[in-house]
Order: sequence, then C-alpha cells, then structure tokens
Amino acid sequence: MNAKQNQASQNTEKLKEIPKLTRKYAQNRTLTILVFMVIIALASMFFAVVISLPYALAIVGFKKENMVLVCVGIAVLIVALVVMVKFYISFLTKFGGKNKGLLDQIIDRRVYGKEGIVSIPLPKLSKKMKHLDIILAIVYGVLLIGSMELGMLGIIPVKYFLPFTALFVVPFGVYQYFIMRPRLGPVILIFPILYTIHTILILAGVPIFFTGFFAIPLNMLLPVVYSFLAYMIGHIYSRYALKRLKGITRFVGDTADEV
Amino acid sequence: MKFDKIIHEPARLKIMMILSGVEQADFNFLLTTLALTRGNLSRHMEKLESASYLKISKSFKGKMPNTSYQLTQKGSKALAQYWENLDAVRRLGQA
Repeated sequence: MNAKQNQASQNTEKLKEIPKLTRKYAQNRTLTILVFMVIIALASMFFAVVISLPYALAIVGFKKENMVLVCVGIAVLIVALVVMVKFYISFLTKFGGKNKGLLDQIIDRRVYGKEGIVSIPLPKLSKKMKHLDIILAIVYGVLLIGSMELGMLGIIPVKYFLPFTALFVVPFGVYQYFIMRPRLGPVILIFPILYTIHTILILAGVPIFFTGFFAIPLNMLLPVVYSFLAYMIGHIYSRYALKRLKGITRFVGDTADEV
Repeated sequence: MKFDKIIHEPARLKIMMILSGVEQADFNFLLTTLALTRGNLSRHMEKLESASYLKISKSFKGKMPNTSYQLTQKGSKALAQYWENLDAVRRLGQA
C-alpha cells in the first residue's frame, strides 16, 4: 500500500467517526441544564433573602417588644409572599402546561444559537412507563423530604445521613440514565458514581459531611453539587467532541475521491 | 461497482454522516461544523433533498426562521450501501 492509499484509508476511518462524534456532542450539550441550575439557585437565594429578612426583622422586633418593627416586618413579609406567589403564577402561565419546555428552548437558543441546533429525541415512553416514572418521582420526593425530616429530628445521625439517602438517590440516578438515554449519555452516571464514592468514604470514617445546626440542608446540597459537576464534565466533553468533529469535517479532504 | 454520485461528493458525504448520528440538525449547525458558505451548503442540501435522502422541516425559533434536516430511511440505506461499496473497493485495493 503506498502513502497516498494509506492516507486515504486513514481519512476514511476518520470520516466513519463523524456520526459517533456528532451524537456525543449532541448528548453532552448540557450547558442549558447548567444555566437552568444557576437560574434556579439564584432565584432560590433571592427568594430566601426576600423572605428571611422581613421575618428576621419581625422576630427582632418581637424580642425587643418593638411593635412598629414587628408590624413593618410582617407587612414586608406579606408583600414579599404575595409578589412571590404572583411571580410563580405568571411563570407557570408562561412556561407551564402546554408551554412546558419553552424555557429550556429559550435558554438553549441563547446558549447554542451561534453553534446551531442538533438534537437527539427524548426516548418515547409507553403509557405504563410514564405512569411508573411519575410514581417513582413521587416516591423519590417523599423519601427525600422524609429523610430530611428524620435527619432534622435526629433520628438519622448526621454521619449516616448521606449514606442513608444514597440508598435511594443512587438507584434513582441510575434509573434516570436508563430513562433519559439516548438523549443524555453516560455523563448522567457520574452523579450516582460520585455519590457512591462519597458514601463509601463516609462509612470508611472520612469526615466529609457537614455538622452543626444547618448540617442536613448543607448535606443535601451535595447532590446538587455532584449533578452540577456531572453536567459540567458533559459540557467539557461536548466541546471536545465538537472540536474533533470540526477537525475531521474541515481537514479530512476528498477521501472518497482519493479512494 | 458503482458509487452513488450524490453521496460521493465529500461535502455531501460529511453532511450525510453528521445527520446519521443524530435525529436532526439545523442549517446553522451544518454551516459552522462544515465551514461551507451558505450558498454552497444550500446547493448541497437541495441535491440531497431532491434525491429524497433528506427531510426538511421549517419552523420558527422565536422570531427567527429555522430549517432542520433529517436523514430519511432511503438516505440511511444509501449511506450504508455507499460505505459497503467503498469498503469493498478498499479491500480489493489491499489484496
């Protein structure tokens, strides 16, 4: 085989990588999810501050027997709650129901507008599977809130709180992968893997958990951090896949003609 | 052994390969990935569409018109056949 034939053969093999790289890129376009997570985190923080400040004001006023401060605190709290409910309703009207997924689309367009849109469909679930999915989501939510309550009541010791939640968080994380593929790739599995490693380390005696008054809510942030990390790795991988894809499409020349 | 002339053109082969990996891709994605000019890409897409290798769907993303492309079953079969033929020729060349 001469050099030209060898080069053509290599180029042909590279061209065969195009579908795989395109799919990997599409599966790992997770920047939209990351932006979505940041928006939710910022909105939650904003509302937490808006609610807790007048609440704290009223408590301080009550302790100092300053009724003006109490009334101002309660009034601001009521206004803040009304605004929050109004915002929530308008948000649901705009992005809920029939418009479900519209916000994702808007963010997606902003984030990937210049790059263009490439999509892998969400898997089509049977009616039975859809029902099972809803039931599992409810069970997951109940277990999560239930374990938080048990943790706050001290029934589950702080040390064993994360290992306890791992009993349902990890299987649910793995289940999510099977439900979401091929729309999202194996990157989703990073989350349950990290969670499992964290749990094993805690059980082995490594003190990687929060203690103190806010121990439970702070420990509950861990799944969020690991999800964020998983999606970040996905995003980085998508950049790598796109770079390789562009490398092949732009620089692998007239392979077909060479053969 | 005959090669499908529509797919045999390098840019069109790459377009077909990209579309075979996903459900659909829009014009912008193909433009940035392949680094072709708009006119050039449009002409390739027209050729592929006229051979019924692609399905075009036009929509609006916000206020902007968006054209997406999807490989048809005929296109998938033609692409698979093309690679089969190409590999056969390569094997003959190596023998």
